[in-house]
Amino acid sequence: MTVKVLIVDARPERSRALEQALHEAGFDVVTRADEHDDLYAIMTSVKPDAVIIDAALPSRDTLEHMGQLGRRFPKPMIMLAEEETPDLTREATSAGVSAYVVEDVQPALVRSMVNVAIASFESHRALKGELTKTQTTLSQRRTIERAKSQLMETHAFSEDAAYQWLRKHAMNRRLTIHEVAQAVLASDDDES
Amino acid sequence: MNEPQTPRDEWPLPERDTLTLGMLPLNDAAPLVVARERGFFATHGLDVTLQVESSWAGLRDGMQLGLLDGAQMLPLMPLASTLGLDGRPTPMLSALTLNLGGNAITVSNALYASMQAADPEAMSQAPVSARALVAVVRQRRAAGEPALRFASVYPFSSHRYQLRYWLAEGGVDPDRDLELRVVPPPLVAEQLKAGWLDGYCVGEPWNTLAARRESGRVLLGSHDIWQHGQEKVFAVREAWADAYPATHRAVLRALLEACAWLDIPSQRVEAARLMCEKGYLDVSPTVVEESMAGEGAPATHGMSVFHHHAANFPWRSHLRWYAEQMRRWQHLDVAAPVLEDCLTRCVRPDLFREAADDLGFNYPLVDVKSEGEHASQWALEGRHGDIAMGGDQLLGGGRFSGRG
Repeated sequence: MTVKVLIVDARPERSRALEQALHEAGFDVVTRADEHDDLYAIMTSVKPDAVIIDAALPSRDTLEHMGQLGRRFPKPMIMLAEEETPDLTREATSAGVSAYVVEDVQPALVRSMVNVAIASFESHRALKGELTKTQTTLSQRRTIERAKSQLMETHAFSEDAAYQWLRKHAMNRRLTIHEVAQAVLASDDDES
Repeated sequence: MNEPQTPRDEWPLPERDTLTLGMLPLNDAAPLVVARERGFFATHGLDVTLQVESSWAGLRDGMQLGLLDGAQMLPLMPLASTLGLDGRPTPMLSALTLNLGGNAITVSNALYASMQAADPEAMSQAPVSARALVAVVRQRRAAGEPALRFASVYPFSSHRYQLRYWLAEGGVDPDRDLELRVVPPPLVAEQLKAGWLDGYCVGEPWNTLAARRESGRVLLGSHDIWQHGQEKVFAVREAWADAYPATHRAVLRALLEACAWLDIPSQRVEAARLMCEKGYLDVSPTVVEESMAGEGAPATHGMSVFHHHAANFPWRSHLRWYAEQMRRWQHLDVAAPVLEDCLTRCVRPDLFREAADDLGFNYPLVDVKSEGEHASQWALEGRHGDIAMGGDQLLGGGRFSGRG
């Protein structure tokens, strides 16, 4: 059988590359979607046999719900893997790949599809030097710390005053602390 | 505070000192963030990394694959994992509740206006009755319009069953009258504004956010549906708890202290600051501060109780309430003895009491309590004298014995 795959990824460049790689491996990529598409509508109309989704996307929980709705919707890979492929599931998780598959797809095909996705995500990351989920939180934290230090230096603020300054600007502009911190660091780069 | 039952130098030494715990970007992850950032984990000899997951599914995978040592979870998740309903069958347990309440139901401005026009009386009730939706559903059906869409956050979530409870109480059949979806919290406010959703039940800060942006109206909070109902728990794998009992006990002690710290309203602003500043919650700090505020503050619908009223005690009857809700909607089909066995395995008041004894904290002497019997504060016998318990009313005056 030809396995019909749906890709859900917020990065068009990466999902195009994955589409190409899956196509070469004999899979039929029916469509690509991102975080802001209506997954209920897409899943119902294209009826994919499998979904490859960026594991960092919150929309995974929508796919979980659809998987609970009945046989026709793909189930999370961790459920299908059983004893057979815990290593593959772990490898996929660390590569940021998450897969959902309907029950009647052959395990060999699932393995092949997931391996293609892992390779594709990893080469994209190597190429772009992209951060993983945990690194993102850490990097946000470092951005905020750096912005605070900079404010403390340029305005002779105390640490608390620096935080209050960031907070006030976040409030006024309806931004997050992280966004204001980024703006602070960017404006300094412009000046220097 | 009472004398610790176990002197500090007799606390068992944690088998492991480096741990990774999972959480979602939500207000009620505050106990984990506070325990790490204010040094409670460190005091108990633990070096903890908090991993912020973006979905409950991702957090579940991390737990089932053994990539996480423990995590903030929805109360039904350890049960669903143990029964093999959610992912790979993996026994999990919880010995501590992180908070009571914290969710709210929000509808779009357009739906709010329709409900107001259709049934002003139901809308003026406190809490707002879902009866106002019945008329709107009927009108839409007559006009050939598609069903209204409501979202909760995960199949095995408290939100899903609180939403269904409210709908059913007002005479709405959630399966026939509406389209129920699962939409992740960071997307609900946006989808409400875009018109893809008509309403949702989620935790804070995502209700306050919609109200702030004027894209929706908060109708009622989870305390209006189940007063002081259980919200999030701290869970570990059963095999992990067996292998590292002293580590687990140390984590429970640190979380208990963090929850007690969060009980002081003025410290919640500091907690909100830690969540935003340390990169755990990428939301405007005002929204987090406002939605973290305790009783008496303007935004009380999604208020969390982190410690008082024996909030951290893992009531076996709390999980039973959720399991009963699953049964009610035909989402759980297991024989009574299997469920009993699971409730005993998944909820561990005995482990909670060990940790509480280490610190000299008070705790209930029984494992089960009824719901719907108390409209206001009441006294329950505890290890160190009476505990002031909160009201436990159920919407519509329902009662629940807490026993199987």
